[in-house]
Amino acid sequence: MLLQVQQVSVAYPVRGGRPFFAVRDITFNVGAGESFGIVGESGCGKTSLAKAVMGLLQPASGRILFEGQEVSGLKGEAFKAYRRSVQMIFQDAVGSLNPRQTVLQMMEEVLRVHRMRPEGAIQSRVAELLELVGLPSDVLQAYPRELSGGQCQRVSIARCLALEPRLIIADEPVSALDVSVQARILNLIRSLQQELNLAVLLISHDLAVVRNICDRVCVMYQGEVIEHGSAIEVMDQPREAYTKSLLAAVPDVGRALGK
Amino acid sequence: MKIPSTILARLWKRWDTRLSLVIVVFYAVAALYGEGTYQAARWQDQTPAYNQVHENHRYIPPAFVRCFLGDTGAVDRPFYLFGSDNLGRDVGQRLIQGTRIAFHVGIVTSLIAIPLGVLLGCLGGYFGGRCDNVVVWLCATVASMPGLLFILAIAMVAGKGLMGIYLGIGLTTWVSVCRNVRAEVMKHRGRTYVLAAEVLGYSHPRIMFRHILPNVSHIILIAFSIRFPASVATEVFISFLGIGVQSEPSWGIMINNARLRLWQGVWWEMTFVTLAIFFLVLAFNHLADALRDLLDPALRNE
Repeated sequence: MLLQVQQVSVAYPVRGGRPFFAVRDITFNVGAGESFGIVGESGCGKTSLAKAVMGLLQPASGRILFEGQEVSGLKGEAFKAYRRSVQMIFQDAVGSLNPRQTVLQMMEEVLRVHRMRPEGAIQSRVAELLELVGLPSDVLQAYPRELSGGQCQRVSIARCLALEPRLIIADEPVSALDVSVQARILNLIRSLQQELNLAVLLISHDLAVVRNICDRVCVMYQGEVIEHGSAIEVMDQPREAYTKSLLAAVPDVGRALGK
Repeated sequence: MKIPSTILARLWKRWDTRLSLVIVVFYAVAALYGEGTYQAARWQDQTPAYNQVHENHRYIPPAFVRCFLGDTGAVDRPFYLFGSDNLGRDVGQRLIQGTRIAFHVGIVTSLIAIPLGVLLGCLGGYFGGRCDNVVVWLCATVASMPGLLFILAIAMVAGKGLMGIYLGIGLTTWVSVCRNVRAEVMKHRGRTYVLAAEVLGYSHPRIMFRHILPNVSHIILIAFSIRFPASVATEVFISFLGIGVQSEPSWGIMINNARLRLWQGVWWEMTFVTLAIFFLVLAFNHLADALRDLLDPALRNE
C-alpha cells in the first residue's frame, strides 16, 4: 500500500471548550497508481483530512503511513523527500500561484529547490512539463493574473509533476472552473494518472467528478466515513440514505425540465 | 519588477504628484550638491563656504529685497540670494547644507527602522503564536514610551551629533512599519499560494522573503515615504534643542540661530528654513498619500 490512513482524527481547539473534531477515526488505503475518491458535502472534514495527509496538520490520533513510514515522524531530508512523493493541487487555481512570479520562475524554483535536474537541464525539463499538461510555451513569461483558471490549474499540476510525485492529492481541483474546462482538466488528470502511474486522492463534493476518475470512493459525513466501496457500486447501489440524498441532489437538467 | 515604472508613470500623469516628484528631485539634487561641497572642503582642508564668517557682512537682507528697495550694492555688501546671518554667513549655502543633513537623517533612519520593522513584522506575522507575542510586546513597549524623550535618551547615550539622531529616530520609529508589515504578512499567510509553497517543500525563510515579501513590498515603499519627512521634522526639533548636529548647519540649528534676532527684523533666515522644511515635508507626504492610493487597489486586483 502506498498510503495508509489508520483511524485518523483531526481536532481543532475551541477556546474554553472541548476541541472540535473535524475528522473522526477515518481509515482507508490508497494503492500505487490507484485513484481514490472522497465525497462529501462542504464542511464534512474532507480538506482537514487532506491537510493531515500533507503534514500541514498534526492528526489528534491515528497514524498516517506512506510506504510504511509514519508521516508525522519524518524530519529534515526525509520530510523533504515525502514532499516530493506527495503533492497537492488546490481548488483556487489562480490563488495557489504566487502573483509576483511568472510561470517560468515558479517552474524553475521548484526544480532548483529540490535539485530535480542539473542546472543545464532545467529549461528543457520546464518545456517538457508544460507539454505534458498541454500548455503552449508562450505562457512561460505570463503572470498568473494573465492566465485563465484552467491554465492556472494546468500550471499548478505541472509544478506538482516537476517533483515526480507518487501520489497527488487533488482538493476540489475543478469546482472553481467553468464546466467546459472542468472536463478537460479531469481528462488531463486521468491521462496523467495512467501515463505516469500516479496515485490520485481526489476530494470533491461532485459525484460526477469522482465517478469519472476514481476506482474506489468513500463517502464522508460529519467527519466520518459512512460508506465505501468501488465507485460504480457506491454510485449505482448506494446503501446509506445520505449517499442516496447526495446522488439525488446532483442537478439533472432533464428532470428539472420535467422530461 | 515592472511595478515601479508603471507607478512612476501614473504619478507623473497627475499634476500635483508630478509637482511633488519635481520638488523631491530638486531637494535631492540640492542635497547631492551640498554633499559635494562638504566633501570638497574637507578634502582641501578649508572652511567650507557655508561656514565662512564675514564680520562685516552681518544681517544682509536677501538680494531681491534689496533690489526692490533700490539698493545697487557696494563692494563691502555683496548680494546674497537668501541674505546672511548673524556671523555674515550665506543663508542660501547653509540651507543647502541643511538639505544634505535632512536627507542623511531621512535615509539613514529609514535604513535602520525599515529593515528592523520588516524583519520583526515578517517573523511575527508569519510564525504567529509565541513569536508573534514577542513582536507585539516589543512594539507595545517601544510605542508606550514618549517618543521624543526616548529619542533624547538614546541621543544622549550615543553622544551628541548625527549618530545619536540616527539611532534615536531609527530605533523608535520601526514600530509603525512593523505593525503594518505584520498585519499584511498575516493576511498573506493564509493565502493559497503560501500553502502551496509550503506543500512544495520550500523553507520558511524562502516563503517569507521570496514569496510573501514581494507581495507586501508596497507597504515598505509607503513606509519609506511616510518615515522620511517625519524623520526630517524630528531631526529639526532635536537639533533645535541643541542635542543634534554640531558645527554643521542643520535646519534645526538654523532655526535656533534665527530665533534670536527675529524680533529685530531679521526675518529671512527663519522664513527660508521654515519654507524649505514645509515644501519638503509637504511634497513627501503628498507622494505618500498618492502611493498608498495607487498601490493598495492595484494589489487588491491581483
